[in-house]
Amino acid sequence: MWPQLVISGIAIGSLYGLVALGFQMTFAVSKTMNFSQGASVMLGAVLCYVLNITWGWPLIVAVGLAAIACVGFGLLVERLAVRPFAKAGSNAWLLTTIAVGIVVENLAMLTFGKEVRAYPSVLAEVPLRIWGIGIYPLELVIPVAGLAIALLVRLIFTRSLLGKALQAVSEDHETAQLMGIAVESMIAFSYGASTLLAGLAGMLIAPITNVAATMGTLLGLKAFATAIIGGLDNPWGVMVAGILYGLVEAIAVGLLGGSYREIVGFAVVIVALALKPGGIFGRQQVNKV
Amino acid sequence: MMAKQIRRRDVLRGTAGFGAAMLLSKLAGCAPAETDSATADPTPQANSAANGEPIKIGLVAALTGSSALSGEAITRGLTVAIDEVNRNGGVLGGRPLELVSRDDESTPAKGVAAARELIEQEQVAVVFGGLDSPVSLAMLPVIHELQTPYMGVWAAATGITRNDFDPNYAFRVSANDNIVDRFLMKHIKETYSDISKVGLLLINNPWGESNQIGFEEWAPEYDLNIVGIEKFNDAETDISPQLSRLKDAGAEALLLVANAAPAAQAIKSLARLNWDVPVVSHWGVSGGRFPELAGQAAADKVVFVQTYSFYGEQGKKGKQVLADLKETFNLSGPSEILAPVGTANAYDALHLTALALETAASTEGPKLREAFLNLPTYEGLIKTYEQPFTPDNHDALNENDYVLVQWKENEIVPVES
Amino acid sequence: MGVRLWVQAGLMVGAIAAASLAPNTYYLFNLGLIAVTTLVGVGLNILVGLSGQVSIGHAGFLAIGAYVSSLLMLKADWNFWPALGLATLAASLAGAALAAPTQRVKGPYLAMVTIAFGIIVEQVLIEWVPLTGGFGGLSGIPQPAPTLRGTVIIVSVLAILAVVGFGYLKRCAWGQAFLAVRDDAIAAAALGLHPAKIRVVAFGLSAGLTGLAGGFFAAVIGFVSPDSFTFQRSILFLLVVILGGLGAAEGPLVGAIVLVLLPELLNDFAEYQLLFFGTLLLLTLWLVPNGVMSFLTRYRRSPQPVYPLDVPPEMPALVARRQTYDSLKVEQVSIQFGGVRAVEQVSLEAKPGTITAVIGPNGAGKTTLLNLISGFYQPQHGEVKLGDRSLNQLSSSDIAAAGISRTFQATRLFNSLSVLENLRIAHQGRQLTSGVDTFKGRSSLQTPDFLELLAFVGYSGDIQAQAANLSFVDRRLVEIARALATEPQVLLLDEPAAGLSKGDKERLATLLRRIASGGLKVILIEHDMDVVMSISDTVIVLDSGRLIAAGPPAAVQRDPLVLEAYLGCEGAANSDTRRDRQIQSVPLLEVNGLSAGYGELQVLRDISLSVNPGELVAVIGANGAGKTTLLKTLVGLIPAKSGTVAFMGKLLQQPSHEMAHSGIVLVPEGRQVFTELSVQDNLRLGAFSRKDDRIKADIDQMLTRFPRLRQRQHQRAGLLSGGEQQMLAIARGLMARPQLLLLDEPSLGLAPKLVDELYQTLADLRDEGVTLLLVDQMAATALAIADRAYLLETGLIKRSGSAASMRQDPAVAQIYLGH
Repeated sequence: MWPQLVISGIAIGSLYGLVALGFQMTFAVSKTMNFSQGASVMLGAVLCYVLNITWGWPLIVAVGLAAIACVGFGLLVERLAVRPFAKAGSNAWLLTTIAVGIVVENLAMLTFGKEVRAYPSVLAEVPLRIWGIGIYPLELVIPVAGLAIALLVRLIFTRSLLGKALQAVSEDHETAQLMGIAVESMIAFSYGASTLLAGLAGMLIAPITNVAATMGTLLGLKAFATAIIGGLDNPWGVMVAGILYGLVEAIAVGLLGGSYREIVGFAVVIVALALKPGGIFGRQQVNKV
Repeated sequence: MMAKQIRRRDVLRGTAGFGAAMLLSKLAGCAPAETDSATADPTPQANSAANGEPIKIGLVAALTGSSALSGEAITRGLTVAIDEVNRNGGVLGGRPLELVSRDDESTPAKGVAAARELIEQEQVAVVFGGLDSPVSLAMLPVIHELQTPYMGVWAAATGITRNDFDPNYAFRVSANDNIVDRFLMKHIKETYSDISKVGLLLINNPWGESNQIGFEEWAPEYDLNIVGIEKFNDAETDISPQLSRLKDAGAEALLLVANAAPAAQAIKSLARLNWDVPVVSHWGVSGGRFPELAGQAAADKVVFVQTYSFYGEQGKKGKQVLADLKETFNLSGPSEILAPVGTANAYDALHLTALALETAASTEGPKLREAFLNLPTYEGLIKTYEQPFTPDNHDALNENDYVLVQWKENEIVPVES
Repeated sequence: MGVRLWVQAGLMVGAIAAASLAPNTYYLFNLGLIAVTTLVGVGLNILVGLSGQVSIGHAGFLAIGAYVSSLLMLKADWNFWPALGLATLAASLAGAALAAPTQRVKGPYLAMVTIAFGIIVEQVLIEWVPLTGGFGGLSGIPQPAPTLRGTVIIVSVLAILAVVGFGYLKRCAWGQAFLAVRDDAIAAAALGLHPAKIRVVAFGLSAGLTGLAGGFFAAVIGFVSPDSFTFQRSILFLLVVILGGLGAAEGPLVGAIVLVLLPELLNDFAEYQLLFFGTLLLLTLWLVPNGVMSFLTRYRRSPQPVYPLDVPPEMPALVARRQTYDSLKVEQVSIQFGGVRAVEQVSLEAKPGTITAVIGPNGAGKTTLLNLISGFYQPQHGEVKLGDRSLNQLSSSDIAAAGISRTFQATRLFNSLSVLENLRIAHQGRQLTSGVDTFKGRSSLQTPDFLELLAFVGYSGDIQAQAANLSFVDRRLVEIARALATEPQVLLLDEPAAGLSKGDKERLATLLRRIASGGLKVILIEHDMDVVMSISDTVIVLDSGRLIAAGPPAAVQRDPLVLEAYLGCEGAANSDTRRDRQIQSVPLLEVNGLSAGYGELQVLRDISLSVNPGELVAVIGANGAGKTTLLKTLVGLIPAKSGTVAFMGKLLQQPSHEMAHSGIVLVPEGRQVFTELSVQDNLRLGAFSRKDDRIKADIDQMLTRFPRLRQRQHQRAGLLSGGEQQMLAIARGLMARPQLLLLDEPSLGLAPKLVDELYQTLADLRDEGVTLLLVDQMAATALAIADRAYLLETGLIKRSGSAASMRQDPAVAQIYLGH
């Protein structure tokens, strides 16, 4: 049982981490977050399903178009639900993005329907037998893909000019402006990138969790928890925290039973924050007066 | 800055005005046109044979949220039955039936509020219930306080019909979890004579809880030993830890209670463990997508209970209902019926209610209650009902009305036994 | 006040009438739900509206209240009211227990904690079947009254009482404390309030009220199950408060009415309900972010203004009352941050009745010293004593209680409170959390005392004006008055004269003198030398964390070390290296009549200057003169209020991120290198606005020019020393190939030798033909390499001319060190 649990835990944990990376990204750059990330996860999966399965288009095309739509969604959220409030110095973006998530989820329910649909995939049909346990190939692919994407994101951040500009914006908005970096565009970009990550996570996990209009909410919440305990200023911390969270959940289920998954998971969150208010891997804040 | 302020103010005034208008109209009793999600054309052809003041039938079910499918399924069954009744002249001398639905959002508080509103504001004759047992249970005091009959078509908790109220206004055309549990365990005993250890795999919600009680009650009767009780949640994707524990405990058969999506995950997890064990399930897996979600081969192995199946050879009634459903809701076949349980139960329950109205010759609660206990024979969809409700038993269906079925290539067929 | 009372009475009558006249149980039921939701809303309003802590988990407290009271009644046969009482207490303790350990958690982190709490409570209710009945829940819950109508009347009355009570809470000491801590926790701590304790009390109070609502929730419905206490429910409660208006007493009532009745009105559109709510939330936040109540109260007449006394008293009794003969002694205190020694072995003694001024160039550690004395930082070595009592290891609230009060460099008033309320909470605040001993011997001040105090400091406006609306000067005065309201023995002031006009400065100086004459020990940081020299008894001078001079003003003024610290010395970069060359006279940069500032604060007034191509122009002036503001306005980081800036003949109106492309680059104050990026990356970013292909070559060139940077090419910029970072900042600026390079205080915080090196580089750049506009405090150093210079004082150009002539001008030294 345990090898099984560990692998599933790592698989789902790497997806928490991927979605959490989206949270971390926008927070680092703009000190705001998109609470409709869960809806983005759902959008990616649902759009890909509709294009690929319902309308029969090739997978590559479906993935590509769904990804583009997710980016567009992120840009819309930033422009309409975040920018007007962040600029005015208000915290209302917390609630507006939650509202956006509710609206999108319900629109999906009204259009896509309330049923759960299966996303057929060669990688999730027959379990492989490894060390006496059954693992779907997709469950091995997911952590690899997730980490690969995260790695790609980090590479872009650290190697490309755009990434460096984003890092500059994360540090100091004013000085970045002086360099000629359009901070507002960078913030919008970070939102588009974060919803793209969430959408990709949704597409990755669809064959295992099935596609439904409500599939994103709990995942989004847990990804948020992951981002928080990872420390909103540390991208690697966030990925590690995601995998840890997935493992903690798996262990809780293994030891105590299915009902304790959320209780233990969220209790760990509270304890972690009480001990380290800036996140486990977060950096210390220095107060200036 | 000025322009923006003016715009704001105008929008607010407009909204306030609209809101006030709605509030006033509601209070004055001229409600905006009813829409329930599935009625295609409410007025013209359905009421061609029946005209006169409508009699309202109330429905409190989950129309939104994770159980929204159930609400839609029930609505479909009710709609088809109501259309049929109205085509044939309505009740009480030509009065058509009209469906008024309210969303309970799967929460008891909302359900109670909705019940009160339907009875006191809309003056419904009967309140139909939905999927969630806690909601139905919470509604019981209101039902009895306002003396309006409750007709359950899905929620299977025993305590709904077997309650402490006297006179008892709660009726049900649906399974009773307790009876289903007994039925399933009996099946295991009779089919697999050498099995004595069973494991319970239950969804972690009120339905699962209710069945746990039932299984535990009937296990001794059939010499079955429950070696493990495992719960799992709706969104879980890997149930193998729970299954491993059951396997380690020596379970030789599994009793499964869950809806299609989570049940599919459970079946897939079985495949992971490569554990070939008989699985006997409650009706949750009858949802049309189960084979799609669990994979054909695995799905075919699960044996489960139904009150009615729209697949296979249909009787006269079945053909007619199926045709009506297809036409009204644009379905291509039985696989799109969503949840045959709710639809079939609702259909028959509505007809029984129409009969009760006729028998009572009135819409008054106490008279209706009496009428329910004295119904004439009705040839329904699920079965022929003779004295469906008695003072001791407000459940129209019992274990003789259940049939064991299984999936076979996207169709539900009876199990050969 | 009268109107309010009528409205409240009306609400009460209305509520009872509605409950009594409701025609059927459906209406009663809805009224009951509205009342319960209002109670929760008021509770949440205390937490979010007053105390500023966002909770998205309040359904958890509702559940605790509902279940505890139900269990006590069903299983232990308690009566309704005692069960309700215990349930309220349980919820309250849960709130405090959640808030106490998580005090350091803020913002989104705190939101997460509350979400997690709510979900855990819901799950525990589901799992703990023997106690809670699991999903089946508990039914048959007894009511406080024999009929539903009775119960609804009771809970409606309670709801209105809660609404009314909120209004009172807001005005009483605790409510004001919540608001003060929310507005500015640091200032609150400096006045003796304990922010952590106050926040926990707010949480406990909020949770308790919600628990009370829970008890009635169970009674009205008659049934509790975990389904009613979900995360979505918590969001709905938050919407109730926001819709009504955060901090408005009647807000939750409005919000509750809308959010309970709207679904009923939309019954026929059930499928679209959540969609509707989500949209409603969005619309509310867009259009009426302050809630419906703010819309309604706009029409309320504002109360009559009240002014302080016409004739200010010589010395208000409360100022002089508590004074003792103890001195404040600072003995060899030191503190370092990272590797930087911010304050090193500084000592001073402030005797009663004297004013001690702390002066020094930027970055010398003056504010840090003040922070050490006031308890914001703890000294790592040395000791701070008031009389014989050591103040080490005490928190800022405790030190405030001991009698030390302060103002802040950026005025920290409690913006949502009125002037009078600011003073009042300062006075009352400590009594709330500091314990019994502070009650003894502390008088209770009344409004006339505060009026006296306000008149004394020179405030002549309406005492009921909201602090956020005060003018800049008034904010300063009120902050001083507030600091005095705590009846301190020691008054610390951080740059009180900054940004004031000459007349205001004179009045301030007089005020400070009068305060000292009351027996207080006054310590002040100030840059305006006229002020300092005219009123101080002792002046101490800090430079780079060390004490370099101390004594009476006249002596310090003449001390050569002090002069050097401020003005710098001519250094190695001198006029010999300057070559004569043709200076074109068509200006590269032309500024006319420029005014700019921050909000109300006018920093620059009518500035005109020009820079010709190839010139190095210096703008010198004391701290607070407006030099940084000038440069920031030129590049568009601060919008100009009036005046024009022309660059290369065209008006400069682009947004700041297009300036680099246009050819103007600012090397900001404090260097501001990107600490997480490497040296090379910093350079690369400097060329971000360029699209040509010579960038790599340029990077190479820069590294050659600054060999130490080449050594550290791949290191993170944050690890470089101060001097190296300055080099990097300049190199980064040059990477954009600017026509005009602006430099803001490049010598800040650098050791003299590094300053020399730096200025040599600047001189070389000038020789190579780069046009530079340089702003620096160090007049002499800057003038040594400049062609022309402007002298800026309090936002006006006082002198201009060739660098040579400025160097001889005695006015320069006077501007810095006073007359």
